[in-house]
Amino acid sequence: MPVYSVSRRRAIALLALTSILLITLDIQGNSVVRGLRGVFSAIFEPVQSSARVITRPLENSWRGITHYGELEAENQRLQDQLDQQEGAFIAALATARDAQELLALNGIDNLADISSVTAQVIGGTPSNYSQTIEINQGSDRGLRVGMPVVNAAGLVGRITWVDNDRSLVLLANDSLYAIPVQVVNQPNIVPVTTTTTSTSTTTTTSSTTTTLPVAPPVSSIVNPNGISTTSSTTTTIDLSDVDFGALAPTTTGVIVTIAPGTTAGGPTTTLNLDDLPIAETGIFRGRGIDNSPVVEFIDQNSRFGEVQVGALVFTSGGSQSLAPRGIVVGRVIKIVERTGTSGAVLEVRLTAKLTSLNFVRVLLYQPVATGAP
Amino acid sequence: MIDFVNKPVTRLLLVGLPALALQTTFFAEVKIFGVVLQIMLALSIAAGLAGGSENGALAGFVFGLMFDLVLTSPLGLSALVYGAAGWGAGYLHSRALENPKWLNALVVGLMSGLATFVLPIVANWIGVEGWLSSRLTKVMIVVALSNALFSFLVVPIARWSLAIRRSQRLAPPAEVFL
Repeated sequence: MPVYSVSRRRAIALLALTSILLITLDIQGNSVVRGLRGVFSAIFEPVQSSARVITRPLENSWRGITHYGELEAENQRLQDQLDQQEGAFIAALATARDAQELLALNGIDNLADISSVTAQVIGGTPSNYSQTIEINQGSDRGLRVGMPVVNAAGLVGRITWVDNDRSLVLLANDSLYAIPVQVVNQPNIVPVTTTTTSTSTTTTTSSTTTTLPVAPPVSSIVNPNGISTTSSTTTTIDLSDVDFGALAPTTTGVIVTIAPGTTAGGPTTTLNLDDLPIAETGIFRGRGIDNSPVVEFIDQNSRFGEVQVGALVFTSGGSQSLAPRGIVVGRVIKIVERTGTSGAVLEVRLTAKLTSLNFVRVLLYQPVATGAP
Repeated sequence: MIDFVNKPVTRLLLVGLPALALQTTFFAEVKIFGVVLQIMLALSIAAGLAGGSENGALAGFVFGLMFDLVLTSPLGLSALVYGAAGWGAGYLHSRALENPKWLNALVVGLMSGLATFVLPIVANWIGVEGWLSSRLTKVMIVVALSNALFSFLVVPIARWSLAIRRSQRLAPPAEVFL
């Protein structure tokens, strides 16, 4: 019997055409394809779970053999880093608390207000091209497709598929990942001046762009062990007199003075708006495992100036964005200038180390456009 | 029941599900030089060697589709490439009168390298960026070498999954009579 009969050729052509049809449907976001994935997942899940139980000891042995030296060196390095960062952490904690108060006063979304679910990474990517991880929490704990995933260092990715008790996370360096971000240029750091005058709030106007609040010196801070420490320069900041609406784009002045509140005669903290970090928006996009992610379409203006290497990248939030404002993404490591109006492309180094994830946090956040958080 | 199990499609699924489970658990963690080994691709090509180009295309399509269903990449992408790899392996197999194990290993290795190279190119055509990179050469070499070694195991499995009897196996492939 001839092998390449017309019917056999047709069968092979049919398989190829079916593949092309499936690709087309999937790219268009067809619901049948999504349903197909769901059905297959239900069938495959028990087999995969069994395989995971059986192969776990083998995986652990393999890791023990191949990564022992590496882990020992990394452990030492991390211990050194931990020691260095302990002091910085305490100061940052106080700054973060003040920032949260300011955000709350302005009615801006605050990461601390968003509920989250901690999950363990139970699987890596089975492909050499797409960048995903599997976690052990799913729709039973309120996870939905699109929710942002973070760890202590920053943005990790987003939920791309959910089952009852597990989910798939598309990592931020995957080429299918994109999210609006803010790039924050760090201005020259000028020490915040502290005077003893009791001037009340003074504001002038100018066309400023979005600014991130810089925390003034604070009075009391809490260290990780819960012990409260009091600094020598006690300052109580009463923000009730500050007209934050006046600080919006129409604010000029260079100086904003925050009056002391209950502490009569205490020092007043004076901030120079020109010294505050300035942020501009752009689109963050992953480019695969080998290439650094980039930020494109930076909306620059004159006050923002040139983007500097080392500038910080945060999620910008917004009603359409899948992540709330303020998640740390990374730092700009390279600026590639482009001709024309498209602007520069910023290469970014992610703060989260995506190659060695263990525990992650899923923020139960959905943008206003799709549902309430 | 026995008849049902003896059907090639049933056997392909019986082989494919555990292989996919192995791919998504063990091989997702145990990487060689940072490269994930591709057992589903090895099985697709082995099916072509064991059962000829048509069976190879069918098995590659089934294994690729199963793999696509657990990935975030477009559904049908791996099915298309793995199907073509299975077909290509079957075609190469038909050119030889004898197929010793070393030749099978060579074909599995070559086709694996080729499929690993073609996959990101097809992905790029359909708009998935970022897969074509300098790392591709390393991935191709590691996948080709590992699958060549896997061939000693996966060719007999593919033969069983396609329900190919010993008498059929030892006969020259039908293509040579064309």
